[in-house]
Amino acid sequence: MRLPRDTLAGLLGLALSVWLFALTAGLPKSSFVPIGPDFYPRIVLAATALLSVAVAVEGVRGRRPRLPGAAPRRNLRLVLLTFLVFGLYVALLPLLGFRAATLAFLLALQVVLDPPADRRRWVTVALVAVVTTAVAYFAFERYLSVLLPRGSLTGF
Amino acid sequence: MLALLADGILDVLQLKYLVPLAAGTLIGVVGGAMPGITITMTVIMVLPFTFGLEPLQGLAAMIGVYVGGESGGLITATLLGIPGKPSSISTMFDGFPMTRKGEPGRAVWLGVWASFFGGLLGGVFLIGATGWLAEIALEFGPWEFFALFIFALSMVAGLTEESLAKGLLAGALGLIITIFGADPIMSVPRFTMGSELLRGGFPFLPVLIGIFAFAQIMTDIERARSLAESDASARDLVSLAVSHVKVVGEILGRPFLLLWSTFIGLLIGVLPAIGGSAASVMAYDQAKKLSRHPERFGTGTPEGIIASEASNNANVGGSLVTIMAFGIPGDAVTAVMLGAMTIHGIQSGPLFMSQETTLAYGIFAAYLLAHPIMLAIMAVGARWFLRIVLVPKSILIPVVLVLCVVGAYALNNTMDSVWVLALFGVIGYGLVKLGFPLAPLILGLILGDQIEVNLVRALMTDSDPALFVTRPISALLLALSAGSIALALWQRRRQRRRQPAADGAPDVDF
Repeated sequence: MRLPRDTLAGLLGLALSVWLFALTAGLPKSSFVPIGPDFYPRIVLAATALLSVAVAVEGVRGRRPRLPGAAPRRNLRLVLLTFLVFGLYVALLPLLGFRAATLAFLLALQVVLDPPADRRRWVTVALVAVVTTAVAYFAFERYLSVLLPRGSLTGF
Repeated sequence: MLALLADGILDVLQLKYLVPLAAGTLIGVVGGAMPGITITMTVIMVLPFTFGLEPLQGLAAMIGVYVGGESGGLITATLLGIPGKPSSISTMFDGFPMTRKGEPGRAVWLGVWASFFGGLLGGVFLIGATGWLAEIALEFGPWEFFALFIFALSMVAGLTEESLAKGLLAGALGLIITIFGADPIMSVPRFTMGSELLRGGFPFLPVLIGIFAFAQIMTDIERARSLAESDASARDLVSLAVSHVKVVGEILGRPFLLLWSTFIGLLIGVLPAIGGSAASVMAYDQAKKLSRHPERFGTGTPEGIIASEASNNANVGGSLVTIMAFGIPGDAVTAVMLGAMTIHGIQSGPLFMSQETTLAYGIFAAYLLAHPIMLAIMAVGARWFLRIVLVPKSILIPVVLVLCVVGAYALNNTMDSVWVLALFGVIGYGLVKLGFPLAPLILGLILGDQIEVNLVRALMTDSDPALFVTRPISALLLALSAGSIALALWQRRRQRRRQPAADGAPDVDF
């Protein structure tokens, strides 16, 4: 049987609170400050633990039945791909530098989200990538004095 | 006060402030008009551009986005029947039927003028009430602040569509994010897991941007049938010509409706973390209940448009009051503004009005001036914005993500913030998938540090915890918190008896 969504949410919340609560035991105490660094986190974590249990129980009891009808189609594969491309971008950013990494990211994600079918679309994709990268670079670095990452591999 | 306001207006009329304000308003209108881009997203995108600016320039740009965004949504809502953002949904109820009846100009301009008047009336309240409320807030001790924050959290949790326990848990999860890093008294690092990155805790803005941007974008991607789609009807330019005297007359001829909707918008705005969509839906509902012809609602009645638009613009004024008087963001947009102020070293809170008077009146002035600018932008470009809306999501999403990364990176020029952004992007999407409402979570995240500081300060001042319930204001606020939770429980019980709740999509806007 699949876990109800709320039960899963509650169990995850409970696991997080218990784990962090256990970690508070390792926090240093001070004899001259009566309220230690563990005081407030413990209150919060105890509250989260209790609420998590409540949510989990609500899930099991199934108080909120799903309405009948077809569930809307979900495009989870595309979400996963987007996360993947974004993760690669963030990982490559310090290596390739802002300009190269951003150009590659903009090209890749546009292609993933809506694969170009003809030459015109490819041109649009390329233009968007080049123009966005250039405008972002010049606007931030030259005009707004916001520094962007340089690549440690490329020095660019 | 009027002299200070006049100074503020003259200040903001200088080109160096007027340009960011006008640019922000324009971007806000466009962002508000684009379906799937909320005002919060727009303000997140504008954020990195403000780092290099003076504080008032940056804040003016953000206020422009806020005001422009609340109005921009009505273009697509009335002309295409696609709400550009959640708070335009109730504008669509009557705006779109009116367009269908062959009066697109009347529909759009009723909305624009109602936004204008609602927003300006909200401005009167903003200017009048902020100083007064800040004086009250100055009397607050740590007990009262603690109780106020608890009240805010309990109310937001109670308002969520999901179960009450889940709303409260979402708020508590927001608090958990803030217990990482140094404790407020002795700066002992907590829960660092041996990582240097976590010694200072999670930086607020990257967390906010990560949760928000990804919860929104990934949900869009998941639901989209095609990311290349665009609405064919948007390609025809319609004429929006209309007699402005007549439209203004229609609005001002219903003074009670206008004032009541404005009041609702302000009230919702002042209450933390409940956004414009709640304001406009509630004002629409009220207008319908109080109308002599409730049956006309939904068929293209002007009252529906006026109520919805006046309230969502007044809501902006209300949110600004909360942030300026108490230092508590009324919603995610003002939370980003608060973050931007912190970057410039400006402390918001009850002392803000007296310590940063010039800036405070500059903010008032920017808010007031944003309205005529919005009006001018609409007059020139309303029908052209329909074209911009045609930009497909497959282009929009990558560009938005790049701006999120720049925003996080530029906060303190380290990749650390970008890692945090990515981490909370995944967490944010996971939370949406698990059905957590985001509004209480974000509020918990915003208030967490303050709750801890005030709780500890209260107990260090006097170890007697009974003070929380014996000091009158604190006791009242805590009683209201308990009351709002009890009310929420009662309402849900009643609803459940009537109908089983739909397993709806979680609301990612607030």
